[in-house]
Amino acid sequence: MSKGQTRSPEAELGLLDATMIGMGAMIGAGIFVLTGLAAEIAGPAAIVVFALNGVVTAFTGLSYAELAASIPKSGGGYAFVREIFDDFASFIMGWMLWFAYMIAGALYALGFAPNFLELLHVYGVVPPPEQVGAVALPVLDAALPLSFLLAFLAVLGLVALNAVSTAASGSVETIFTVIKVSILVVFVAFGLASPMFSGAEFQPLFPEGSGAAAVLPAMGLTFIAFEGYDLITTVTEEVQNPRENIPKAIFISLAVTVVVYLAVVTVAVGTLGAGGLAEAGEAGIATAATSFMPTGLPVIQNGGALIVFGAVFSTLTALNAVVIASSRVAFSMGREGQLLPSVGQLHHRYGTPFVAILASAVVMLASVALPTQSAGNMSSLFFLLSFIIVNVAVIRLRRERPNMNRPYEMPFYPAPPIIGIALNLLLTGVLVEFLLRTDPLALALSAAWILLGAAAYFALKRAKTPPESGPATDDTEITPEAED
Amino acid sequence: MTSTLDIIIAGGGRVGFQTAEILADRGHDVTIIERDERTVSDIADQWLATVIRGDATNPEIIDQAGIERADVIAALTGESGLNLAVCLAAGELNPDIRTVARIDRKGGEAYTEFVDAVVFPERAGSRVAANEILGSDVQTLADVTGNLDIMLIRVAEGAPAAGKALSDVRFPEGTVVVSDADGERIARADTTLTPGSSYVVAVEPDVVDEVLNLMRG
Repeated sequence: MSKGQTRSPEAELGLLDATMIGMGAMIGAGIFVLTGLAAEIAGPAAIVVFALNGVVTAFTGLSYAELAASIPKSGGGYAFVREIFDDFASFIMGWMLWFAYMIAGALYALGFAPNFLELLHVYGVVPPPEQVGAVALPVLDAALPLSFLLAFLAVLGLVALNAVSTAASGSVETIFTVIKVSILVVFVAFGLASPMFSGAEFQPLFPEGSGAAAVLPAMGLTFIAFEGYDLITTVTEEVQNPRENIPKAIFISLAVTVVVYLAVVTVAVGTLGAGGLAEAGEAGIATAATSFMPTGLPVIQNGGALIVFGAVFSTLTALNAVVIASSRVAFSMGREGQLLPSVGQLHHRYGTPFVAILASAVVMLASVALPTQSAGNMSSLFFLLSFIIVNVAVIRLRRERPNMNRPYEMPFYPAPPIIGIALNLLLTGVLVEFLLRTDPLALALSAAWILLGAAAYFALKRAKTPPESGPATDDTEITPEAED
Repeated sequence: MTSTLDIIIAGGGRVGFQTAEILADRGHDVTIIERDERTVSDIADQWLATVIRGDATNPEIIDQAGIERADVIAALTGESGLNLAVCLAAGELNPDIRTVARIDRKGGEAYTEFVDAVVFPERAGSRVAANEILGSDVQTLADVTGNLDIMLIRVAEGAPAAGKALSDVRFPEGTVVVSDADGERIARADTTLTPGSSYVVAVEPDVVDEVLNLMRG
């Protein structure tokens, strides 16, 4: 190779790959796991819920695009905030983001379990979920044994995999995403054609009693669905022409994802009805598919199996992605000296951020004991909070560093980040209020996590010996030429 | 100790940019201050450092580069006087900061009264040039390597690889540990990475960060 001017690793991901990474993260488990939960709260208005969430997220997307283009650091939200805020604020941001990913991991694992059971059921290995569910469904402790065990095993397996070998590359992600989207397209096509859909009933759009107001808590609960485009900003280094392609990839993936969600949710509500969807919970899409997909096909026997397989596949790949994402946040925090230094170290034998992965695994495994809905609530809450900080970061950066080079500047500044902050705050408020009424456990755990973080921050700060002034220069150096 | 340094480089030209590239490969946070519009956009294309557009002698611009949190400032523009001024101003704004100034003639060592270190790139460059001209079969390490870094790395206490035998450490692809402790012999599988000892390591730039993580923590 010639003496290249470009920095390795070579930029090899195109716009398509970058877009696929974002889509892969968003069209993952969320659509399979959360649709039923949204229908439970909002009824047929679940469609509205996802559309509005897409709009809300888009404002933060603009902020991410501007930050990613002007702060060349792979690392996503934490890296950006670290650049701008003081130690404590950036610590809390990292701490929340870390938790959000870990809880999302638990959510996906919990979504994996019922879908996996549904898959086994389609092939007749286990009795239909209603019968398994009849014993298990409503109460937490009754549901524990089987699905808890499955979720626990899923997390354990993927954590072990990631702990001993380095992660899959972007191109694998592209293939995964294509598979997921294709399966959903099949779902939508069959759904639209099915007789069940022709008699679709979307009225009343809003559930009786709560009315249109029900949309807001459902939005809060499912907000996490559109979290994921920020993963694009974690691979920016490998993207060609990042200052153009990163913002584009963010917007395209967001737009396509919203369209896919709307189509899928419309079909699901149209065929199964909001009530049926709500009843099926985490396996909503899979159940809908089993109801209208053709049966008696060769090999796969049951067309529904394809979709159910998609759900299992999606929850597993999404789980894998958040295992990586969460450990990466912890790892960067360790590197920056914001967590114990060992968290920021690679394992000498495996070459992976072993301690960071283990630390994330502990919380994830513990969270698998939560009800799915609590996991969704908490993850959404923490993403909402960290998105608020990201929007604040954009405004602060513009004010404090007006001369910073910004290859991408968002249009209509400062409107988008302000609107983003306002909408995210609104949803946070609604979600907190909703949790106070329905899920105080999730709220208490969330508060406990933040308090734990603050305590850890100050304990760590105290434990640290007074920092040696100046960098340690003499230990690492290029051999002869640099000296003079 | 934080392993990542916050480094400001004033001047994003040839020297400044190449330096930023090496530092970013090693996982440090680099901010470049650059006046020239076109250079700014070239640097932005490479996407390796945050860029502040403006004059590095302007305290407001230095401030925007995050001087109060930075560990090092290196003034690497082509003008010695300007570099010196930048370092002095930076020292005023953040007394703890390490300052490095590029100078353009011999004898610039006298400046170390005002700055922590001086750099004279032409001297280093002329060594390389002399070696190339002579085309000798025997060259110093750094010259044969295009992109490779030949580094002398001291193993830190408590680093992931500290005290481990080479056969027990998985270095990323693109790494060769050349010498054993303190360069006495060629490294073998059973060579132990003793904390406090230095080893010659050949590394490809994109994995320097990982290697340093393993050996330095």
